Amino acid sequence: MSIDLQDIQGNIVKGYAQYDYPKARYVFYHIRNEVAGRAFVKGIAPLVTTGIPWNKKAKPNAADAPPPATTNIAFTYMGLKMLGVPRKSLQTFPEEFVMGMKLRKDILGDDGPSDPRHWDRIWRDTSVHLWISINGRDPASIETRYQEISHLVAESDGGIIQLSGHHGPDGSTDLPYQSASLIYKNGIPQAREHFGYRDGIGEPYFMASSGHPNRVIGGGKPTRGDPATRKGWEPLETGEFILGHRDEAFETPIAPQPPLLAFNGTFMVYRKLHENVGSFNRYLDTVGENYPGGKELLAAKFSGRWRSSGAPVTRFPTNATAETFEFQLNEAEARLYAERENPSKEAKEAYVALRTQMAAFDYNHDLEGSRCPLGAHIRRINPRGALEHGKEAFNTPGALTNRRRILRRGLPYGEVADDSRDDGDHGIIFIAINASISRQFEFVQQQWINYGNDFKLANDKDPLTGNHGVDSNQQPTGRMILQGNSTATENPFFCAGIPRFVETRGGDYFFIPSLTALHMLSNGTVDPT
Amino acid sequence: MSNIAGKAYAMNVVTPAKWYWVWVNKLFFWFVQLPGGAAYLKGLLTLSLIHYARWAIVSPKEFPHLDESQPKEKLKYSYMFFFSNFNGSWDQYVDSFHAAIPQGLDLFWFKNVKYPKSVPLQPFHAYITYNQIWTSHYYSAYPLATSNDIKSARHLTRELRAFSESSARADPLEFHEAYQRLLRDVQQDISIMERTPIVSLSAQAVEQRLDQADAERADQ
Repeated sequence: MSIDLQDIQGNIVKGYAQYDYPKARYVFYHIRNEVAGRAFVKGIAPLVTTGIPWNKKAKPNAADAPPPATTNIAFTYMGLKMLGVPRKSLQTFPEEFVMGMKLRKDILGDDGPSDPRHWDRIWRDTSVHLWISINGRDPASIETRYQEISHLVAESDGGIIQLSGHHGPDGSTDLPYQSASLIYKNGIPQAREHFGYRDGIGEPYFMASSGHPNRVIGGGKPTRGDPATRKGWEPLETGEFILGHRDEAFETPIAPQPPLLAFNGTFMVYRKLHENVGSFNRYLDTVGENYPGGKELLAAKFSGRWRSSGAPVTRFPTNATAETFEFQLNEAEARLYAERENPSKEAKEAYVALRTQMAAFDYNHDLEGSRCPLGAHIRRINPRGALEHGKEAFNTPGALTNRRRILRRGLPYGEVADDSRDDGDHGIIFIAINASISRQFEFVQQQWINYGNDFKLANDKDPLTGNHGVDSNQQPTGRMILQGNSTATENPFFCAGIPRFVETRGGDYFFIPSLTALHMLSNGTVDPT
Repeated sequence: MSNIAGKAYAMNVVTPAKWYWVWVNKLFFWFVQLPGGAAYLKGLLTLSLIHYARWAIVSPKEFPHLDESQPKEKLKYSYMFFFSNFNGSWDQYVDSFHAAIPQGLDLFWFKNVKYPKSVPLQPFHAYITYNQIWTSHYYSAYPLATSNDIKSARHLTRELRAFSESSARADPLEFHEAYQRLLRDVQQDISIMERTPIVSLSAQAVEQRLDQADAERADQ
């Protein structure tokens, strides 16, 4: 099935970091009046990056040439209202989008240190209407695009206000935008977050996805075939991620009216997540000393993947197997990086073969969780076929999973100055794209990250990202069982006193319109009758 | 009035069916209760969020007529009563049925009036919503327990009792080994029950108002 990639914003179908755009700037605006708002959007529209496939060899100004910096735009409910979208249309937007992230805190588990009272000032004191992201290859390209946009703001004569109030390093609390970037090691950008885990591995693969067809392995929905091959997977329906297309329920998703406003658009979650690096390292050091497998295996059991290589622990259960894999992966990546201007076929194939192994698995040979614990992060956020509990009981193994997938488009932010401390300003700008924020992002956050019943784990939470609480003595109450092997003599290991490693520092829900809808919004021609 | 108590949701759905079709549904329900028929319920039984689900078909003349003061009714249809208690939200439950056992649902509700089939989802949602009877009173004695928790607790109790009997006179080494074995046997059954996540903001608001009213009454 083909979709009109020229009509779809590029950030929906492309994770820019994988296309050599390692840095981003997220800027937020407030619309003071409708006319200025529409004029601003009209000025932005020609700058917006679409989903058309890029040709690296195209001439710099060709339509399919990768731009020096990308630009994408999205709106909150209040933003759409300020642009004059008629009430009849506004009333067709989903409840959670209308409410916004702050009012959904009880659903999302944003309590204690994650409570909106502690969020960056921009999310507390102002009303965010509009989000613009600029992803770039280097800071200069980002700055150039930022200046172009700032010029449009100046032209609005006060009709558009760029909102400041982002916290930054050095205790600043009033930065004018949020910066984000891949983390660099020896001058090379790494797909890694501040706890040291390799990130950005699991990416849903749907009908309109681009990239190597092997990405369906582990990225699509499970069939009853061999998970190590393409036969074990099928692409998800496009409607899980883009409105107006068929979804996994064999219908077009519930969407705002008129249809042309929603078609080729989607919803986005923006969330600034602080990482308590000091607490995390201390826990690994302390508990890792008593854990028979040691600190690195403990970190792997938390996530379901080895920190340094990203190799799935269910497939590479021992240090030795993981290290061999990591060595091969590093070689393949170094070669690909060295040949990045004109990579050879062999270099690409060697890398794809290893990359595929990182995703080519399910949990059917690990039902009791002795390799990958039942409560490990990746097993929670994408259980693959595991909710069948090995019984081949459902219509399809992914029956309870296929409609809970999200596209992740975020980047790390900040730098860790002292890895024994929690303070500072560093973490992940989590960006999720999905057709339904409540069915996809919120469900995963509530039921699979902050709760455990679907995995038969009572109230246990995700060890890494769960909102672990404290008892009456302010001692952390997070817990996790690392299941042992009941047929061998390997005992379960009990992790207790897990503190909250990740805290929410702000965010909101956004609507990403198609290019067509963007023109309708800027011209004020949205009419649901 | 709420369909939610603790971690459980109570759903009642009453759907009409033409009397001359319900023998098919009855045949199907009879069949799945045969020893070999359970295989057809595997999907339903694997949906671990369900406390229980029950279907009952009532023909027009089976409706009770209590005494003369009750007006006589002329019923045109047989009715299928579906009752279920489950953990999680309405959406999670209905969507799980729809995705996991669509063919099974279409047999259960075979030929029920205006049953749209379980796939696609939006008409199925509308059908269930239209025919659902809200619960006027719902009480949960164990508001922290899900169906999975209860199963785990029962297994844990059984194993622990057996262990304490069998190991009562074990020497330290035997005891140690038996204890380790016990741990491995019950590793899927140990956790802590806490309050439910808030699956519905409106249900949460109702609960808070009722708690507030209770507190005020207690003050008086």
